This record gives sequence, C-alpha cells and structure tokens, in this order.
Amino acid sequence: MKHLKIDNLHVSIGDREILRGLSLDLPTGQVHAIMGPNGSGKSTLAKVIAGHPDYTVTSGDILFDGESILVMEPDARARQGIFLAFQYPSEIPGVTIANFLRAALQARLPEGEELEATEYYAKLYEKMDLLEMPRNFTSRAVNEGFSGGEKKRCEILQMAMLQPTFALLDETDSGLDIDALKIVSHGVNSLRGPETGMLVITHYQRLLNYIVPDFVHVMINGRIVESGTKELALKLEAEGYDWATEPEAEAVGA
Amino acid sequence: MSNTQTQLDIDREKGNFRYDVDYEFDAGTGLNEKTIDYICDVKGEPDWIRQFRKDALKKFLEKPMPTHWASHDLENIIFDKIRYYLSQGGQKPKKTWDEVPEDVKRTFERLGIPEQERKFLAGVEAQFDSEAAYSNIKEAVGKQGVIFMGSTDALKERPEIFRKWFGKVIPTGDNKFSALNSAAFSGGSFIYVPPGVKVSHPLQAYFRINAENFGQFERTLIIADEGAEVTYMEGCTAPKFDTATLHSAVVELVALKGAKIQYITVQNWSNNVFNLVTKRGLAMEDAEVKWIDCNIGSRLTMKYPGVVMKGRRARGEVISIALAGDGQHQDTGAKMVHAADETTSNIVSKSISVGTGRATYRGLVNIPRHLKGCKNNTECDALLINTSSRTDTYPAITVRGTGNACQHEASVSQVSSEQIFYMQQRGLTEAQAMSLSVNGFVNDLVRQFPMEYSVELKRLIDLEMEGSVG
Amino acid sequence: MEGALVEGQWPEWFVASRQRGWADFEKLPAPAPKDEKWRFSKVKALALDSFRYPAAVADAAALVGRSTGLGESAARFVFGNNRLLAATAPAAELVKAGLVVMTLEEAASKHADLVEKHFMAHEAKLGSAKYAALHRSGPVNGVFIRVPENLEVVLPIEIFHWVEGENSAVFPHTLVVCQRQSKATVVDCFRSSDDAPAFACGVNDLVVEEGAKLNYVAVQQWSLATTAFHLNSTTVGRDAACLGMQVNLGGKFIRGESYSRMVAEGARSDMLSVNIASGEQMIDQRTFQDHAKPSATSDLLYQNALTGKGRTVFSGVIRVEPGAHKTDAYQKVRNIVLSDEAEANSMPGLEIEADDVRCTHGATTSQVDDRELFYLLARGIRPEAAQQLLVMGFFNTVLDRLPDARLRGPIESLVEARLKAALPA
Repeated sequence: MKHLKIDNLHVSIGDREILRGLSLDLPTGQVHAIMGPNGSGKSTLAKVIAGHPDYTVTSGDILFDGESILVMEPDARARQGIFLAFQYPSEIPGVTIANFLRAALQARLPEGEELEATEYYAKLYEKMDLLEMPRNFTSRAVNEGFSGGEKKRCEILQMAMLQPTFALLDETDSGLDIDALKIVSHGVNSLRGPETGMLVITHYQRLLNYIVPDFVHVMINGRIVESGTKELALKLEAEGYDWATEPEAEAVGA
Repeated sequence: MSNTQTQLDIDREKGNFRYDVDYEFDAGTGLNEKTIDYICDVKGEPDWIRQFRKDALKKFLEKPMPTHWASHDLENIIFDKIRYYLSQGGQKPKKTWDEVPEDVKRTFERLGIPEQERKFLAGVEAQFDSEAAYSNIKEAVGKQGVIFMGSTDALKERPEIFRKWFGKVIPTGDNKFSALNSAAFSGGSFIYVPPGVKVSHPLQAYFRINAENFGQFERTLIIADEGAEVTYMEGCTAPKFDTATLHSAVVELVALKGAKIQYITVQNWSNNVFNLVTKRGLAMEDAEVKWIDCNIGSRLTMKYPGVVMKGRRARGEVISIALAGDGQHQDTGAKMVHAADETTSNIVSKSISVGTGRATYRGLVNIPRHLKGCKNNTECDALLINTSSRTDTYPAITVRGTGNACQHEASVSQVSSEQIFYMQQRGLTEAQAMSLSVNGFVNDLVRQFPMEYSVELKRLIDLEMEGSVG
Repeated sequence: MEGALVEGQWPEWFVASRQRGWADFEKLPAPAPKDEKWRFSKVKALALDSFRYPAAVADAAALVGRSTGLGESAARFVFGNNRLLAATAPAAELVKAGLVVMTLEEAASKHADLVEKHFMAHEAKLGSAKYAALHRSGPVNGVFIRVPENLEVVLPIEIFHWVEGENSAVFPHTLVVCQRQSKATVVDCFRSSDDAPAFACGVNDLVVEEGAKLNYVAVQQWSLATTAFHLNSTTVGRDAACLGMQVNLGGKFIRGESYSRMVAEGARSDMLSVNIASGEQMIDQRTFQDHAKPSATSDLLYQNALTGKGRTVFSGVIRVEPGAHKTDAYQKVRNIVLSDEAEANSMPGLEIEADDVRCTHGATTSQVDDRELFYLLARGIRPEAAQQLLVMGFFNTVLDRLPDARLRGPIESLVEARLKAALPA
C-alpha cells in the first residue's frame, strides 16, 4: 500500500492564502471525496499536488510514499504516478490524442526503449470501448472543439491509459448530462482497485452516487473541517454547507 | 451601400471662416538661414536655439521626402511658397481675454474656446498662426507648482527643465518633418507637473491657422515628474483655402517614474492642410503614456504617435479614430518601442473611409532582444462607406526572444445593408441610419474622450455621414 | 557570377529570353537595406560572387536512389546540378489522355506556344526582379507539366532538384498548366547532396484554368549553408483553385516570394507555409494576394517556429482592386519564438479599394502556451518533448490543410525530423 499524504499544507497565489493548513492521508485502494463550496480551495489542492507553477507552497508538505514531491517538476510527479483529471482541460491544437498519449507513455519507459505500437493501439482501443468513444476520436486534436462531455471522457481515457497510483478528479462531473456521467463513472469505477488511490473533488453529491467514496471530507476556507463516511455527503446534500461553516464563525466570534 | 455616391464637399464648417488680420511680423516665403535669423531676432532667442535651428535646417534639406513608403502627395508641398512665421503684434501671450486683440479674440470666441475654459479646463493656450495669443492657467493649478506656458517663453524662462528634455524624445533628424519643425518652430505648449501632483482637469491648447500659404510649426513638451498625472487636449482648425497650408508639429512627452500623461487630439483641419506631425512619449518605470487621437480633417495627415517604454512595467497606449472624407488621406498609426522588461502596449485603431477617402494604418511594434514579459496587442478595424473608398493596413512587428507576446488583428468591413434596412424600416433616413452605424463602430473609442469632446466628435461624424449617402 | 554557358538544345526564343535575362540582371540594382521590399531582410547575404555554374554531379545513380519521398507517383523527375538525372514518364493511358510531363528543355521546343506564353510571364514584383532575371539567364532546368482538359491525375507528380559541390548554383524551374476542369498534384523537393554552401535560384509558374484544381507543394531541404530564392507566380481562373504550400526546412538565407492572382470570379488560392528557422537561418517571405476580380477567395496561413539565432520575415499584402467586390481574403502569420536570440518580423498588409469585401489579417508572436505545456507536463511528458509535441501540433494545423493523406504523411515526417534536430528533446 502506498500513501499520498498532505501535511499541514499552506498555499498562496500571489498574496492570497488559499490553503490554510490542510492535512489528508490518501492510501491506495481507497476513494476519498472532497466536497466544499465554491472558493473553498478544492481545485487549488488538486493543482498544487500536480505541481502547477502559479501556486506557492508556503509551508507544509506533500509526501508520496513518505518522500516529499514539492521539489519535483510537474512531469516528474506525473511519471511518479500522480494523475490530475482537469476541471478545464486545455485544448492542444494540432496534437492528436493518439500522438499525445503515445508521447506520455513513451516518457514513462526507460531511455532507449520504444513503445510497442501494436500493444499501444490494442490498449487504447480497449479503453476507448470502455468509455464508449468512437475510434476516429484518436485522430482528433486533444480537446479541441470537444463538448464538455467529450473533454471529461478524454480525461478518463488518459487516466485509464496512464494507470496512475493516485488520481485526482477535479469536478469531473461538471458539465455532464446523466448519460455522460454514467459512462464517465463507469470508466472511473473500472479503474478502482488495490493499486490505485483516488481523490474525487466535487461540489455536488450527485457524482458520489456513481463513484461511491470510502471517505468524505468537507473543505471550507482552505481546510478540512469535517471527515466521515459516505453518509456525510448525504448530510451535505440535505443541509448544505452552512452547518459546517458555523464552527468557524463561532471560533471567530469567541 | 456600395452603390451610393458620396458628395464631394463635406460640411465641416465650424472652422471655416476667417477675419482679416494685420500681421506685424512676417518672415516672408521660403525657409533659409535668413528666415531663421529673422525668427530668432523677433523672438529674442538665445544663441543655442539659433544654432539648433540652423543644424535642423541642414538636416531638413538633406533628408529626402519619404515617398518610398509614403504618399506622393507630399511632393505637392512647395516649401518655397510657404510663410514660416506670422505674428500679429507681440510674442508674449496675454493672460486675460480682454487683452487679446479684438480680431484674434473674436476668432477664438466663435470657436468657443473662452466658454470651454470657464466650463471645464484647468488652463488654456490659444495659438494664432505662429504665436500664442492667450495663455492662462487657473490659479489653483499654478499654486501646485504646475508650469503651463508657451515653449517660446519656456526656453527663455525655464531653461533648466526645458533644455534637459527638448529634442531628446524626438531627435531633430528623426524624419524630414521633425527637422523642419526643429528649424522653424514657434509656439506650442510647455508643461511641467511637479512630483506627485495630479492635475484634475485637462489643460488645453487650441491651434488656429488663419493665414493662407502658411506653415504652423508648434512645439510641445510635457514633463510629468515622478507620480504626477496630467491630461492635455489639443484642438485645431483652419479656414478652407485654395492653396496648401502646412502644419508640422513636434510633440514630446516625458513621463517619469510612476507618472501618467494622457494626450488627446481632435484634429479638424480644413481639406487644404498637410498635417505632418511627429509625436512621441517616453515612459519610465511604472509610467504610462496614452495618446487618444482623432483625425477628421486635413488633406493628408501623417501621424504615428509613439511610446518608448524605457522603464520596467511602463505602459503605452494609442487609441486612434480616423475619418477620411472625400479626397482626404488619413495616414495614421502608432509606434511602440519596448525597451524594458514587462512593458505593455496597446493599440486600437478604427478608421472610416468615405467617398474617395483613404485611411491608412501604419504600425511599428518592436520588442528587441533580452526582454521578458513584454506584451503588445493591436487591433485595427476599417469601415468602408462607399465603393470608391480605400483602406490600407501596414503593420511591422518585430519580436526577439522568448517570453514576449504580440498579437495583431485587423479587419475591413462595410456597414451592413441589412442593418441599414432594419433602421430604415423603423423610420430613420439612410443617412441617419448610416450615422448611427458609424457612431456604433467607433463608440467604444469615443467614450474614452472627455465628455465635451465626445459630443463634438459625434456631431462631426453625423455631418460627415450626411454627405456620404445620396 | 557571370553569363551562362548552357548545355542542351534550346530553341531560339528561349536563348533570346536568356540573353535578355542576363542584360536585366546586370541592369537592375541590387536590393538596398532601405528598400521597403527588403525591410528586415539581410541584403548582405546576397553576395553571389563566389557561386558558379557547376559541373555534373559525381554519382548520379546515388542521388536518384536517394530521391525518395512520397512513394507512389504519377511521374518522377530527378535533376542534379541543372541536369536531368532520371525520369519516370507517366503511365501510357495518362499520356494518351494528353498529360504532358517533360523537361523544360524538351517542352521549349515541343510545346513552345504554351511554354513561351507562361514561362515567367509575370514580372517579379515583390522585390526580387533582379534574381528573376538571373534565373531567366541561367542554365534553367526543370519540368513542364500540362494537364489537359477534364483529366484528373490522381497520384502526385514528383520532382527532385539536387545541388552538389561547393558554391554550385542551380536554377530549378517548374511550369504547370492545369487546363479547364483538370486536377493534379505536383511536389518539388529541393535537396543538397552535401553540407556545402550553394546557391539556388528557383522559379515556379502555376497556371490554373477555369474549374481546374492544382495542389503544389515545395519541400525545401537545401543544406544549412545555402542561399536560395524561390519565386512563385500563381494565376487562378474562374472557379479554379490552387493550393500552394512552401515547406522551408533548410537553407541559410531563403527568400521566398509568392504572388497569387485571382483573375476571374470564383477563383480560390490557398497559400500555406511551414518554416523552421534555427541556428543562423533566415527565412524571408513576401506574399501578395491579388484580387482583381470579384467573388474570389484567398486564404493565407504561414507558420514559423524559431530557435537558435533563427530569423524570419513575413511581409504580405492582400490587394483588392476597385470593383473586386465580394472578395473574401484572409491572411495570418503565426510565430513561435523558442529562444532568446531568435527574431520574428511580421508585416501583414491590406490594401482595399472595394467596400463590399471580407478581409482580415492577423499576426501573432508568442512562445508555446503555458497552459498547454502544463497539461502535457501533468501527463508526465518531459518539458523538451512537450515543447516538441506542441510545436509539431502548431505545424499540423497547417499540414492538416493538405487535401491528400498520401502527401501529408511523408511531409509531416520530414517536418518532424527537422524539428527534432532543431529542438532536441
């Protein structure tokens, strides 16, 4: 079992502190969900783990199986096994999905070793079938002109191909209708297993009906204020986030 | 609208009148060393200026006409027939309108200058041919240490500031016409705003050409010291003559650290004026120079306001509207030289060509080597009103090194006939509909002008459009 | 350089034209730095004194063997140092249908009317008239192609021009006449057999008559020490279409001039270019989209990637003549600057004298997009490889415009190989 451990993490963008002492332990074999209102810092957490250059870690640490990854470049983190399914995936004009994924897989091979093309395509087609994607998808430029649903499916396709140790799914449900949500969830669920840990970031409980988490954390103002099992998500759905913000308000008042 | 014919003469009558004036000082026609001596003697200028003028004359004569890229209409300027200095009594401007000689005063009254001064200006200078007839600054502004006077006075009274920057932003030999101005300059404004002073109302200069075959060569120098802010507006008119008149100004702006200068021009010369102007600003660290330029009149205007961004994070901006009426050529543009890291510049140019009018945009954006984080954005939109209208766009963009970004976009369009029909169906005449469309086209830029000017601008556009549909 | 000693059998009219060419070359002034048509260029690069007309290549068979590119072709001609090395004529049924593919030398006699009518019929207006005259005066060789009415030639016609030996000068010429309702694809490949400095002065004349369609691709891979001119003239007739693509991968100083004239309604010209300027390379391109008649379309897309001390110049004009209404013209240059010493100069231009038109142009210069780069990094791709992939993607947006997959694949591979050499991962 491996662990992705976030330890008292403080993160700023410019002068603004967004994460204020966040801690979390995600072992492989588990799915954790992070829920929280807009602006609570959920997406920041995902991007910081992936090493986005806009954010500065002012204190705390991110440990991949006990080793800090803070000094690692984003591509090195990815090869280590961290995968971020972006909330807003970039369009990459002129680069086909097939070429893109091949480059990503090639980067994971030892130097001098070439990716085996037949195996690669066999695997690619298998995963595309799983996500109900037509074959001609591979020759389209990455995310260019994709619908919201296609973008999210493309993210999951990449996750399936790259087989990360830890996957961070940032608002993967946003912009999806119910059919697309089912397909995407099915894809994600098929990747669950003892070798993979997942962090599912979402604003709504809806996604968690399809990707059932082992643990749910509530994030407010850059911190986790409450953790529990999947029932916590239902409570949030029923009562909103107000109850969770109250202790904070009291603390300020006191 | 491609089949509607434009009528030749566009009504822009506001400045088209003339009262006879007796000139006490007249340097005669043609430009040579004697003309320069005459100007220096009349103005009582120090020797260094006399030498400066004579050096400039040499450069002017050496430099060829830039017709390898510019309009051949320039060849129609007969320099020997132009009068280079005309002044009606005295080289010292008056401080109250009552002291201004009657025949000059009534010209400015008719143009509404004293009224505007009372309403919204912090200071006014009114130039009549070669010299300022009137120059005054509101007491409160003067008390802040702001200097606002004619350049003729400034070079004598404030040489310590004047000489430091005079001719430094635009060297004499920058182009043939900056050399001409340097040889023959008279009038124009000198402004110095002390550190931290923010002049809340605009300072205005009004340039009036009254005499035929005349060349007006004012010279303006504005210095905003650290953290200072100032807005300067200039307006200009001339009566319609049969022969060519020349206006060739040089305007230099210096925005020191953190300063902001906004320079607004509404040029409404009559159709016989060659308007060949060199304008450039220097922006030091965190400073901003913004040119807001509206060119409506003249026969040929060549004007490319520039900003040299010399300090880190300096900003330069040119907002330009050009309306080329029948027979006119508005050859305008912008020049942005990025000379420090993280400097940003923005150019928005909109032109309208009516009848046989021709609007040309020329741009230069230069981001030389070893700079980081520089950005330029340029947008040029041209609107063509008639089948015989013409527009050109000639940008030149140089980017060296990685880490900088430049974007240039230009489009040419006409007023959609569907849009005109829609408005006509609602009861507007074709001309009204056209005016509305054209005003809509420039609206986002017009809003950047002070209120009084934007109202005036709209009115001028309406007048132009009335003539454009038949 | 001096007057040419020319081998071969050329008709009188051609010899006379050659003599006029030399006289014009000597008469016309060399470009000066202040010349608008040479703005931002490097006129110093045009010292031609050391170049000479070369002897035959040492090993013709070897060069013919190396002349591989597209695989299947309708006809294939290989030239080296201005001489024909090998020719594969078109299939008999195509010849029977009237397709002519032969050397210019042969055509100058056998199809004198067409060759004389179209050979350099238009003055080179974009700055290189002197070098067009030099081309005319030199030991020109190349291919003449006539595609007869209503014939569609499915496979591309492939032409290779090799230069070999230090200071060799070559004068490749391609003349294509696509007659009414015909269709063809022509590919010129320009290559050096060694790394030596050489001089190439190439011209192509493309004539696309009513309803015809021509795809023309020039893949320039001269040695990195070569100075070259590539001057194009394209004339597109009623409802006809020409797609021209210049791929510049080699050369030290490359001057390209492409002039497209839409001479009748419904004409369409696509002008495309992919350029890699690395090391000390300079690629200087001038274009002209000449709309003389209404309702024609032109669409230009030039893309440059610059690294090392590479420099590019793009200067283009869309010209809409009075009365050319319903013109739809587009012009875009995009630069990606990948090093601190590289310099991109862009001068997109419009000259519009008709009001009912749709004309836009744009120029962008930037580096690779930060967000795109991060997305690739986040998938574990190393920064150098990610940059390569993004630049290749940038070029693919142009290569995607090639209508024929058979062309696209090999050209993409050449671009990719050059990019990998210029931007090592």
